[in-house]
Amino acid sequence: MKLTLDIWRQKDSASEGHFETYEVDDLDPGMSVLEMFDRLNEHLILEGKEPVTFESDCRESICGCCGVTIDGHPHGPTPHMTTCMQRLRQFTDGQRLRIEPLRAGAYPVVQDLMVDRSGLDRIIAAGGNVDVDAGSAPDAEALPVEHATVEKALDFAVCIGCGACVAACPNGAAMLFTGAKLLHLSLLPMPKIERNRRAERMVAAMEGEFGACSLYGECSAVCPEEIPLTAVAAVQHERLGALLARKL
Amino acid sequence: MAVSVEDKPPIAREPAELPPALTLSPLTSKALPNWALKACMAITGTVGALFLAVHLLGNLKVYLGADAFNKYASGLRSFGEPYLPAESFLWLLRIVLLICLVVHVIAGIMLWERSRVARGKFKAKRTNGLRAWSATIQPISGILIFVFLIFHLADLTWGKVVAAQGFVETTATTSSAYQNLVHDFSRPWSAIIYVIMMILIAAHVGHGVSTVVHDLGSMGWRWRAVFVVIAGALAIVILLGNASIPIAVLAKVVTLS
Repeated sequence: MKLTLDIWRQKDSASEGHFETYEVDDLDPGMSVLEMFDRLNEHLILEGKEPVTFESDCRESICGCCGVTIDGHPHGPTPHMTTCMQRLRQFTDGQRLRIEPLRAGAYPVVQDLMVDRSGLDRIIAAGGNVDVDAGSAPDAEALPVEHATVEKALDFAVCIGCGACVAACPNGAAMLFTGAKLLHLSLLPMPKIERNRRAERMVAAMEGEFGACSLYGECSAVCPEEIPLTAVAAVQHERLGALLARKL
Repeated sequence: MAVSVEDKPPIAREPAELPPALTLSPLTSKALPNWALKACMAITGTVGALFLAVHLLGNLKVYLGADAFNKYASGLRSFGEPYLPAESFLWLLRIVLLICLVVHVIAGIMLWERSRVARGKFKAKRTNGLRAWSATIQPISGILIFVFLIFHLADLTWGKVVAAQGFVETTATTSSAYQNLVHDFSRPWSAIIYVIMMILIAAHVGHGVSTVVHDLGSMGWRWRAVFVVIAGALAIVILLGNASIPIAVLAKVVTLS
């Protein structure tokens, strides 16, 4: 299988980037996009050229490390799927692909296809944890939590922090990411205690670097974990709730 | 030589320090955060949508004839009498609507500018169908609706500049709203502008009303589904109801006689 790749090359965050065209003709339709980069880089290294920098770790849709923009689609044209899981069989033999890093004002390019997503880490650092001293584990039935509640919390805790939602958003907003974290913690008894303080801090951190939601719905459409737009409403719910409620 | 426990370097227990935050927008301020601006836009937009619905009901009286329409127009001025002074209800309505308009426009401009900066220089692709499309045209339709509002007031309330020949100003006791409307829409260009603006207003209301529940933080999927239906129905009713009037005038269904 042969593909023509227009790949974004950028030396560092200070320099200007540009597209470079590569032709790779020894590809297999079963390969992932990351394996395509591996193959390309093998050729580039053998030719004595600089390999393309990209991020990858688990390659099984868990770590949230990978993520590039393929033909304008964050992660790739198949919806709800990380770049590492996107297979080449979705493309036709000889197709031309435009591959860029995840794009957002808050994502400066580190090199080539690798971006700095620590803005998301700063949102988590602002309050995505449990501050109260939980002590040792209570007796099993001392604090009943309904199974449905646990499942719901888990539905939002599945966020892998890949940041594709921000790259997909025409406003560069991180509401789906922040809302998923706020909601997952607010549904559970221990983290719920400080939900208002958490909402104030995390939303302030989010608004310092990311945009506001206009409900394009692009974030949820690319999310590998299919987090619903409920998470976007959760940001307003938690923050407006904190305005009306007692502090903590 | 064996290394003793004391010689080992201490294990770093401090969490790794994050790089400093990027300050993207000079407009981002603690006094006017995005979440508050969005809530303000939701509330003021709802007031605007309710006004449009009531305005539509009044407009449709044009089909009941000149007397019914003019009586309704005069009735807006005398509403609440004798308990309230003349025109006081009308002015209360105008002041509330003006405040809502100013807040809605300023919040909209601030959010648009902040989001433009947050996006950076590479634009995002729109893939999410009607929802993404309607969100994209929201600021554009907003600007055009604002311009049209001034045009509309000059045309049919103040009777200045763009008003039709034969415009008769409203007095405390009499109204010529029906005659003014017929004169106005007898000009095809004015009727076309009106119909085009109704399409834009329908698009603006359709997207705006469906986002209200999100911006006010409703997480129940039923509420959000219900508001999508309400928004769509309101948009279609406003479009069909209002746009029918200039068409009826041009088709001589609504005439002076």
